[in-house]
Amino acid sequence: MIFRKRIFVLTVFIFSLLASYGPVLSSAQQVVEEIQTDTTKAKQESERIIASPQNIKEETGIFVFVGWMWLSIFVLVFFLRLKIREADRLFRLKFFSDEEE
Amino acid sequence: MRDGMQSWLDERFGFSGITRFLTHKKVPLHKHSIWYYTGSAILLFFVIQVITGFMLILYYKPTLELANESVGRIMIEVPLGWIIRSVHSWSASFMIAFVFVHLLSIWITKSYRRPRELTWMSGVFLLLISLFFGFTGYLLPWDDLSFSATKVGTDIPRAIPVVGAWITNLLRGGEDVTGDTLTRFYGIHICVLPVFLFILLGIHIYLVQKLGMSLPLESESKGEKVREIPFWPNFIYREMIIWLLLVGILFSVAIFLPPSLDQAADLMAPAPEGIKPEWYFLFLFQTLKIFPAKILFISGEAMAVLLMVFAGALFFFLPFIDNKPLHRKGKIITLAAYILIVYALVMSIWSLM
Repeated sequence: MIFRKRIFVLTVFIFSLLASYGPVLSSAQQVVEEIQTDTTKAKQESERIIASPQNIKEETGIFVFVGWMWLSIFVLVFFLRLKIREADRLFRLKFFSDEEE
Repeated sequence: MRDGMQSWLDERFGFSGITRFLTHKKVPLHKHSIWYYTGSAILLFFVIQVITGFMLILYYKPTLELANESVGRIMIEVPLGWIIRSVHSWSASFMIAFVFVHLLSIWITKSYRRPRELTWMSGVFLLLISLFFGFTGYLLPWDDLSFSATKVGTDIPRAIPVVGAWITNLLRGGEDVTGDTLTRFYGIHICVLPVFLFILLGIHIYLVQKLGMSLPLESESKGEKVREIPFWPNFIYREMIIWLLLVGILFSVAIFLPPSLDQAADLMAPAPEGIKPEWYFLFLFQTLKIFPAKILFISGEAMAVLLMVFAGALFFFLPFIDNKPLHRKGKIITLAAYILIVYALVMSIWSLM
């Protein structure tokens, strides 16, 4: 009888232990997994090469280049528009028609 | 002196014939003329790809051990190497986007109708080659994402009955994606595809010159005279404006949104989360995903791949399916083009979500 009682008490004790510490253990395991995932991600991030200028000199040079490029494009577009107008005018006047024939 | 040199060269090369052709060639001006510029834009991006591709070849090493490292070296050690790589990558995207726009504009304006069937078919082949360029180039950095995406991509043909497994093995150079696949893709990317592209491009441009540029259906069917301008210099000047703006946009995007490089692919590691192909394959990728595992007695993947092959065949033979006389508008065919555009957009956005 005493033996059965002891077994019952022990079972209740183990269940209560599992009930109270189980979630803590599983959450701890989750935290460990999260830490591991974060570590892997952090490792991956650290190994990722981000394309960017290597130094301030290069960065400044690139900004200057982009500015210069767009300025040149707008100037060239302006002159090309004038050339188109002129070429269309000459075509309307049949300026080169004799040459073609 | 200059005239003497010019006539000496002309006598040997016959340049005057080319210049005569260019000055006599006329380009029609009408409400759909804007679409003519997409063809030359594709050519522009292709030339940029050839130039930047050649620069990258000088430093890239297509082996399992060195591929990722050499791309890293291009991005860190080579002066402005990251910009060259970024321009190469972005111009590929721009080129494919313009190929799509070019083909869809021809579809919607029905410019593929008689006698331009072969021009259309060579264009579809050029689209396939461009897509294959993108697919083979995607693996070359040999990082986690490109490795896994290639694994998924090369596994798709396996679903085709009878020849599927053979195609997958042929693409991979074995059962799995390994260093052999990398070398194979590199060879295809820099040798095989450029040769095919040059041949087909030559045929395509020859056909466009031979058959002339297409006109709107109503004008062509009635034989109406449309306003024309000389190709040289009037049209070329207009094209130069488009080229300048496109080059500006390309360089700005490449400088401010350069692609990064992940760690070298690990053959034994599990596939990373969120594997995505390049944007131009997203709608196909999503289509594959929405198919159930089994449809009747055929696997869902096989059914999806067979449907895609069937849709591709319909697209390729479009001029023979819609072989109506020029005065017929073909509204159903136009509707099909719009449905395809909406479908591709919806599927791509869904895949990204």
